[in-house]
Amino acid sequence: MALAQQVQLHREPGARGDLARRVTGSPALQLVGRRLLTAIPVLLGVTFLTFVVMNLIPGNPAQLILGINASPGAIAKLDTQLGLNHPFWDRYWLWLDGLLHGNLGTAYSNQQSVNSDIAQFLPTTCYLLLYALVVSLGLGVIVAVLSARRPNGIVDRIGLAISMLGLSVAPYALALVLIYVFSVRLGWFPTISNSLGSNPLTAIRALTLPAASIGFPLFAVYTRLLRADIVEQMQREDYIVTAKAKGVGPWKVLVKHATRNSLFTLITLVALNLGTLIGAVAIIEPIFSLPGIGAELITAIGDNDLPLIEGIVVVFALVTVAGNLLADLLYTVLDPRIRYGRAAS
Amino acid sequence: MAAQLPDLSATIAPAKPPLPSLVSARRLQWQKAARQLRLWVPAGILILLLFLCFVWPYVYTIPPGDTGSILNASLPPFSPGHWLGTDPNGVDIFAELVYGGQVSFEISLAVTAVGIVIGGVIGLTAGYFGGWVDSVLSRVVDVLIAFPALVLVLAVAEVLQPSETHLIWALSVFSVPAFARVTRGSTLTVRTLPFITAARLSGTSNRKIIFKHIMPNVIPGIVTFSLLGIGVIVILEGAVDFLGLGIQVPQPSWGAMIAKGQNVLTAQPQYVLIPSIVLLIFVMSLNLLGDALRERWGVR
Repeated sequence: MALAQQVQLHREPGARGDLARRVTGSPALQLVGRRLLTAIPVLLGVTFLTFVVMNLIPGNPAQLILGINASPGAIAKLDTQLGLNHPFWDRYWLWLDGLLHGNLGTAYSNQQSVNSDIAQFLPTTCYLLLYALVVSLGLGVIVAVLSARRPNGIVDRIGLAISMLGLSVAPYALALVLIYVFSVRLGWFPTISNSLGSNPLTAIRALTLPAASIGFPLFAVYTRLLRADIVEQMQREDYIVTAKAKGVGPWKVLVKHATRNSLFTLITLVALNLGTLIGAVAIIEPIFSLPGIGAELITAIGDNDLPLIEGIVVVFALVTVAGNLLADLLYTVLDPRIRYGRAAS
Repeated sequence: MAAQLPDLSATIAPAKPPLPSLVSARRLQWQKAARQLRLWVPAGILILLLFLCFVWPYVYTIPPGDTGSILNASLPPFSPGHWLGTDPNGVDIFAELVYGGQVSFEISLAVTAVGIVIGGVIGLTAGYFGGWVDSVLSRVVDVLIAFPALVLVLAVAEVLQPSETHLIWALSVFSVPAFARVTRGSTLTVRTLPFITAARLSGTSNRKIIFKHIMPNVIPGIVTFSLLGIGVIVILEGAVDFLGLGIQVPQPSWGAMIAKGQNVLTAQPQYVLIPSIVLLIFVMSLNLLGDALRERWGVR
């Protein structure tokens, strides 16, 4: 398919500019375009599914907002105001129309715009995830490289044991144990943190325990993957033998050749798993009373606040889809074999 | 290689069978034993846990897991009659662990089974037939993976009365797409192997190729993945209970135990620690067993 296009492009020189041909003919860009197109049905499906599920919940939102004693007139008025008197498909269409115009609607619970609600809560979550990702990736790479230097050596055994622990621990249980040890017993970190404040140091202190609860399982996954990949590279790949044979030192082979190659796999995995981090955020943030989007989702679900839930779900779905796209992109950019292999098929 | 031979013959007695490099026989024996241990220790722990949860309550009378006497409230561990102590409501913690464990086992096994059956069929179909079938099924799987299933679990808890069955279906939204992806991936790998082409060229029907040639090669990967999957689902199920949306109190569950312990964390950390450690041991045994089987069957 792609090949046929390229052939066609070659047949009509001058029809498009040289640059344009190079851009549209680029296999990587074609792949991105294809993935972007497939992302649209995924996003539609996710939002629609949420809409259906939330509409299954019995009870009228207007009634929920106004309380049990509200008069039928007031409820009918609010129904009209919220657009609840429209049939299901019209409501979904209206909401979708708003989404395309960048407007996620008004939250039922506090009558604020969902956009501003999300804008208020998103930064905390971003800082938290960034902190967790950076630390777990950094430590993961270090431990994996040290472990892979001597497979089945003492460092490797300890590393494997630690990562097995991280793989098996429940984040919420870990969070509570960390709170008990580091906040209650040692008093190093605050137990709860309603706001991050403006001082970066207090923010880091407030985010350390939640980031550790999310990051430790991540660290375990990253370490295991990277270690296995480096060990395999060191044992199987010809370029390692070449590097060793031409007299490159063992550390340099390990770090500059094998690890550099394996990091690509790791980065792709990180991008792919961006979406799954959201579940962790929704559970960890409420434990620490962090004002993030995960805690907000739990509150919104408790309040039956459909527009807010939909808005947060869209953000989550966007992150997941963007992560998948990023993974594909990284694959093609970092590994030319895949770039040309896929484009030819 | 030939140049090294004289050196090797100096260190290894010529009568011995050729061993890989300089590994001694004793060391090989130890490695063999260690491999057995890696398989049987986690398997033994799992069997013990299963025994404690499902057989012990019928062999040996244990106190009820949902009610207790206020006279026995907040007993420390190793109290007479309550060897793990009691919670602030006087419920025996060991009994709570046993009954909560039953629920965890049942739900995680059921969710995994649903994932294997439905996800397996989706993955096999998508991977084997390819083309537009693959495209459509893969998009459906993508939607399910991008969909925050927590919303669904919650909605289910609101619409229907929260129960084990409903929780199983809601949690399957996690397991079905995961198994579908894994099965599709390994089906794609197997499909390109020469013996499949040979079978197809010799006129074997699609059904026979799928059941006789592809399935046996895909199943080991699915089994090891399902062991890891059960661990993830146990943690997830605990998270749902922890948020108070799954198994409803007073029916005991590990997640709810941890959530209850959160309130008295400062004074009595054992209410969080005991269920957390049991959860950790359970999930870790599953992971270790999965690793050992993967090593044994040579699947990645």
